[in-house]
Amino acid sequence: MDSKTIDAGLMARMFLAGAKNLESKKEWINELNVFPVPDGDTGTNMTMTIMAAAREVSALYDMGDIDMASLCKAISSGSLRGARGNSGVILSQLFRGFTKGVKECTDITVPVLASAFEKAVETAYKAVMKPKEGTILTVAKEGAIKARELADAGTEDMTEFLGQVIARADEALLQTPELLPVLKQAGVVDSGGQGLMQVLKGAYDAYLGKEIDLTFDRESRTVSGKPNFEAQASADIKFGYCTEFIIMLNKVFNIKTELDFKAYLESIGDSIVVVADEDVVKVHVHTNDPGLAIQKALKYGALSNMKIDNMRLEHQEKLFKMSRQEEKPAKEEVLPGPKKDVGFIAVSAGDGIAEIFKGLGVDYIIEGGQTMNPSTEDMLNAIDKVNADNIFILPNNKNIILAANQARSLVKDKKIIVIPTKTVPQGITAVINYVPDLSVGENEETMLIETQAVSTGQVTYAVRDTVIDGQEIRQGDFMGLGDHGILSVGSAISKVAFEMVEAMMSEGKELISVYYGEEISQEDAEKLKERIAERFPECDIELQYGGQPIYYYIISAE
Amino acid sequence: MTKKIAVVTDSNSGITQSQAKECGLYVLPMPFMINEEPFYEDITLTQEQFYRRLSENADVITSQPSPEDVMKLWDELLASYDEIVHIPMSSGLSGSCQSALMLAQDYDGRVQVVNNQRISVTQRQSALDALMLIEKGFDAARVKQALEEDKFNSSIYIMLDTLYYLKKGGRITPAAAALGTILRLKPVLQIQGEKLDAFAKARTVSQGKSIMINAIRNDMEKRFDGALADNIWLQIAYTHDREAAEQLKTEVLNAFPGFDVHMDPLSLSIACHIGPGALAVACCKRLNA
Repeated sequence: MDSKTIDAGLMARMFLAGAKNLESKKEWINELNVFPVPDGDTGTNMTMTIMAAAREVSALYDMGDIDMASLCKAISSGSLRGARGNSGVILSQLFRGFTKGVKECTDITVPVLASAFEKAVETAYKAVMKPKEGTILTVAKEGAIKARELADAGTEDMTEFLGQVIARADEALLQTPELLPVLKQAGVVDSGGQGLMQVLKGAYDAYLGKEIDLTFDRESRTVSGKPNFEAQASADIKFGYCTEFIIMLNKVFNIKTELDFKAYLESIGDSIVVVADEDVVKVHVHTNDPGLAIQKALKYGALSNMKIDNMRLEHQEKLFKMSRQEEKPAKEEVLPGPKKDVGFIAVSAGDGIAEIFKGLGVDYIIEGGQTMNPSTEDMLNAIDKVNADNIFILPNNKNIILAANQARSLVKDKKIIVIPTKTVPQGITAVINYVPDLSVGENEETMLIETQAVSTGQVTYAVRDTVIDGQEIRQGDFMGLGDHGILSVGSAISKVAFEMVEAMMSEGKELISVYYGEEISQEDAEKLKERIAERFPECDIELQYGGQPIYYYIISAE
Repeated sequence: MTKKIAVVTDSNSGITQSQAKECGLYVLPMPFMINEEPFYEDITLTQEQFYRRLSENADVITSQPSPEDVMKLWDELLASYDEIVHIPMSSGLSGSCQSALMLAQDYDGRVQVVNNQRISVTQRQSALDALMLIEKGFDAARVKQALEEDKFNSSIYIMLDTLYYLKKGGRITPAAAALGTILRLKPVLQIQGEKLDAFAKARTVSQGKSIMINAIRNDMEKRFDGALADNIWLQIAYTHDREAAEQLKTEVLNAFPGFDVHMDPLSLSIACHIGPGALAVACCKRLNA
């Protein structure tokens, strides 16, 4: 093999291997969460983004005779449309920039790659309104800087080049907690950055010629943005227990012992992660016999933070949940009514909240939210269905805003205005403040101002133990999340909700709106309302059925 | 010799019978049917009585002054005046104007009916403007012309406490009907010339007030040549809740320091459509004669 260039066929294999490698680690990446809240996990979002592209690339690859231009188009448009979640959108922008840099050549050389990496980073930074360091962006940027250094120094050997670029990016990933205090506090590296590393490493493995299964299930192409249940159901879990622990070393743990330990783990399972850091080693393995892994580890020191999950059972639960989602009636088709000047699209979960949005004149509801981030394509479909020259989109979740912005940039025949609403109450306030007599621009301005005046609190549960702002939180605890962090924690939902409201209140608030979720009874909600009314007699309290999942209560004060 | 001209308006202007006497004009009372019994605003029906009946869920229906009453007043006045300027409530909200125009055809131009689409505090201002113009020597036809040329130079925003009465009366326009929602909202309506229509929605009273104040400021600046005290008449109207109106007045004066603000209860023929607890901010560009 010519070790100086990459042709289209090899690049396709590298891309697919990168996608595959990301997919295999997505659960692990999901767990690199700062807040222990149930949410649209980074690993899942990035995987769904890259899979949309991988399916197209895979189809192309199977046809043989692949050329760079069509490969680039498949990667770029596939990931762009499949993008969901902030990290997914950024990943898609990295691909878009990268493919711009390579699409015109037949054989990619080191200088071409270095420019393409730069193009990728530049494009991704532009996609984010306020780029934050210590994220996937930093990891990509550091890799690109290294690539430029190597290319300028005259490096031609691809193996060396890729190896060094990946090493630098890896270093940058380990530095992310130094740049983002929240990561440090939670004791994790940036999950998006980790996702990017999976892609790069998978691609590198393919470049090195490692055996990689590149088959992708293309049937699911037709199910836009939804996981394929059939494929999931038949998926065979080879190793059943996800096993994690930390070794507190009391023996030397050098490179050799690390390699030995990894080799042993490889003999009993897969999905192995061993991270050594001075006197502790973090271990993650999927195996059918967790006992063996533990016994081996005990040879190096004492164990802590042990966690063993039966993935086959979880898988069943997940399948069950998914099939329940499937049972829901298909979304009612909105007939393209007479052309309007202005239309509205809102993202929301819960029948009560959907009803409220519709009552306020929203034309189309995209079902989604915290755990289900709709993709750019979902947005495009919705935009297609609303027959209006100007369309306001209310993402109502901070992790959906970027996908909405991306959709905006892909639409040419309609003017799309994304009001960056981070919560449902902000979205409701935005629609209420719409004034038909004013121009689109004036409306955008008032909506932005008015949504800022809304404080939101949401009550959910902790998915793992953690410590945030010095507050100990146990898995299963209820948490009241405000606009800027955790407001209350406890083991009783109503109490947590009430304390959250107390923490949210400030001078000049007149109206408290309580939207109760699908798991809360009307009776409990009424009781909470009375309690709040007693505590804040000067406020109007409005109670509404929201029917939302995940959040027992969504409460706003304005 | 200058003509002797009378100014007539109806009780929608908010001008009471006693105020009318002081100003030297004439006010036709609007008739009401409450549970099929006839009443006349400010003559046989006070504001208090009206709101009590409204809250008792009585069947309140407004109608226009009967042709008989109108002609009777005109005939009486023409015995001592040469001409009449008649300013009825907005033709967009009532048939009064249409009827008056028709009746006036039999008066050989001696009765000039002004169709300038005013109501409440802005209608009151028109009546006062008419007196001012007459003072300056305008005859009835020129007063009519001047007021009609000025008809779009006024604006009213009304925040409702409830949608109940608007729905009940069937006066709701299609845009306002879209306000039908399970959320408790404070709709803000507007009267620009012809129609009562939805303007915006608020969740809280203070939001609603700031919407109205901003909208009025916008009108002053964009339509009425600037928010200046010597250029604009600023008004507040309300249904039933005077205390809330006083509070609004303070806020309006804060927003427009140095302005004079005139405050009146909204006329009952509007109140019966929008219910108690409504607040309105209005303005008219001052008429330059």
